[in-house]
Amino acid sequence: MPTQPPLPPLLAPYVTALPTSSLTVLSTVLGAQGNWLTLRYLYAALNASTASDATFSLSGDNNNNDGKKQKVVLVSFLRGWEFWRSEAKRLGLDLARLTDKRQFAFIDGLSELFSSPRTTPTTETAHPPLPSQPALRGGPIPQRTVLPTRSAPGPIPARGPQPTTPRPVAAVPPPSAPPAPREVGGPVTRLHWSSKGAAALDSLEKDIAAVVAQLKAAATAEDASEVLLLLDQPDLLLAATGPSKDVGATEMSEWVMGLQQYVDATVMTLAADLPLIHNASAAGHQMATPLETEHAAFAIGSAHRAHMVMQLRDLDTGAARDVSGVLRVSKGGAWGQSDNVDTNGGREEREVLYFVQRDGGVSVFGRGE
Amino acid sequence: MSFRKRNIGLSTGGDRAAPVSAAAQPQQLASAASAPESTPGVRPSPDDGRPTTSTGTPSLDNILAGHGGLPIGKTLLVEENGTTDFAGALLRYYAAEGVVQDHRVHVVGMPEQWGRSLPGLIGPADAVDDKQDKRKGERMKIAWRYERLGEFGAGIAGSRVPTATPGEQAQPTAEGSPDKRPAFCHAFDLTKRLTHPSIANLNYIPLAPSNEPLLTTVHKKLDAAITSSPSSTVHRIVIPSLLNPTIYPPESCQPDSVLPFLHSLRALLNRPGVRATAMITIPLSLFPRASGLVRWMELISDGVIELCPFPHSADALATSGAATSHEEPPQGMLKTHRLPVLHERGGGSDQKVGQDWAFTLSRRRFEIKPFSLPPAEGDKEGQDGAASGAMPKKADLEF
Repeated sequence: MPTQPPLPPLLAPYVTALPTSSLTVLSTVLGAQGNWLTLRYLYAALNASTASDATFSLSGDNNNNDGKKQKVVLVSFLRGWEFWRSEAKRLGLDLARLTDKRQFAFIDGLSELFSSPRTTPTTETAHPPLPSQPALRGGPIPQRTVLPTRSAPGPIPARGPQPTTPRPVAAVPPPSAPPAPREVGGPVTRLHWSSKGAAALDSLEKDIAAVVAQLKAAATAEDASEVLLLLDQPDLLLAATGPSKDVGATEMSEWVMGLQQYVDATVMTLAADLPLIHNASAAGHQMATPLETEHAAFAIGSAHRAHMVMQLRDLDTGAARDVSGVLRVSKGGAWGQSDNVDTNGGREEREVLYFVQRDGGVSVFGRGE
Repeated sequence: MSFRKRNIGLSTGGDRAAPVSAAAQPQQLASAASAPESTPGVRPSPDDGRPTTSTGTPSLDNILAGHGGLPIGKTLLVEENGTTDFAGALLRYYAAEGVVQDHRVHVVGMPEQWGRSLPGLIGPADAVDDKQDKRKGERMKIAWRYERLGEFGAGIAGSRVPTATPGEQAQPTAEGSPDKRPAFCHAFDLTKRLTHPSIANLNYIPLAPSNEPLLTTVHKKLDAAITSSPSSTVHRIVIPSLLNPTIYPPESCQPDSVLPFLHSLRALLNRPGVRATAMITIPLSLFPRASGLVRWMELISDGVIELCPFPHSADALATSGAATSHEEPPQGMLKTHRLPVLHERGGGSDQKVGQDWAFTLSRRRFEIKPFSLPPAEGDKEGQDGAASGAMPKKADLEF
């Protein structure tokens, strides 16, 4: 199988130049995870030269080419910074450096989402010393970096389920100042699940919006301030909290919709495993649990609001050595709503196979090719 | 080689009494700074060099997507159908391996008897395989780094056999082996009891009711135990039979209790500077895979394997399932639903993916091997022909 460029030609029209204010849903299953595709979105947005043609440069350095350059905010609920950094490196993206250049921001929804920070002091220096030149570039995030927090009033959230006051995670420093010490490998904002239901979602939204605002504010004249938001498995929030915490499909949808307002395009990864989607339907032989009902409602509702749905699934005929899975691209419910007809150009519904190689490279090909 | 000396220093203790293992801590700390791979029981993955540790079951290490072990920072969810306890055996091997390697083992929700029933040490895993010994002499020497890639465990004969253990077979092989690198994986005997000085270091986390949610307490204790130990320590978190109603109260089976727990556990393992792995088992008969909760538990875990023991009625199949007469019949099927690292990247490129695996638990080992259906039961002639292996007689071919 010939090696393909970082952005395989078949895939390129779908991951580049996403329509304004669109939502793209990327559905995955247990055996076919979508991280590689998320990384392709990341690559397409951050590597400016890839705008519309299939001639890609391997190096991540030529960000100053002409072309539509986007900024990216990646919110990950299941994977940490280390994973994304090392995987992006395989594509030639240096996320730590891009973070420095204010083109990329990572929001960590894994580390402290449901557990309180280990160190309790919250009154820290609001403005940490300016970063020196990257001594620790790309290094791991130190154990507990002092994040620039506002002195939080009220008690510190002990842990998720208990009702506590939402704690501002990342203060918004003046846009001119770097938001966090260099050592964190970028201004890594850590999300916290603070109180119950809507309030907690609101505080998450506020945190993410703050990061988006920082990126936008850092835009200079020559570089566009379009921001792409990548939400990696926000459905975890729904699954891990659920109706008993006043979070349901409706609240989640509203939350995502709220986030969409801040950015130009949104890509959301969702789990679409059989039990999570089909148990809720009446055909199921057993009673659906609230988890299943809400998840199905959220996933299906999102697909209806989406411009495109990229479905990843296992090969129907069982595992194979040279095929990792199937990618089905279909129009979402919001297809064709944008006024500009050209934005849909080159995108059509299709089903292709993909193969993720050991080195992280991906080839996308049609059946029989 | 510098690390060789260090290891000699580590294993010279004729009787590895408790003070020795305590003294080993700073030594590990010193060595971890320069060469993290030299920590006992941790080696770089042949695939991409990330540190991995053994599950205590060589054949399980072998199917974990080419890493030759469980990568540090990953969780393995072992699901089991039915009422058997094969997954429990896997957990015991995993815990026993941790004890032998001086890792810090945290056991959640089990009394101390569980730790006392860990299987006894026989020796390094490869020393038990006498086949390997025979081949050792005649094999062409290639660079030691690649030597290990072919067959798991070949070429790593260990000297680090604690002499406190009554391991008669282990001693000669260890002395005879030319290289003195510590063993990565050991073999254990289920009928014996593990006696090792560091077995007292097992950290039991009881499920005592308190005023906060149970699993929250468990996570806090795990967090505290891991945070308070030196950063060079390798941790193993053992969670037997998660959500089993005889151990866990019903409210912890709610998604909003167990999923945040697993998420926090994942966060803990992914924290920079923490070197830990976790193995969790869950009874599938009570929590079927078709339920959304279990699917979410799988999604949060890095690796998912499912054990499907053959029911008793399938004994006939099981006995004939062995390819040859001296091979033990398989006791069940093993399915890999998700492998650490591999699937997170996108998956699918593993050579072994898609194979049917069968497992056999014997006194000495838990073995996972490709499952092959035997010749049809009624097909006597076919079997005889295969057994004799002879060409058909000339007379049979003539018209």
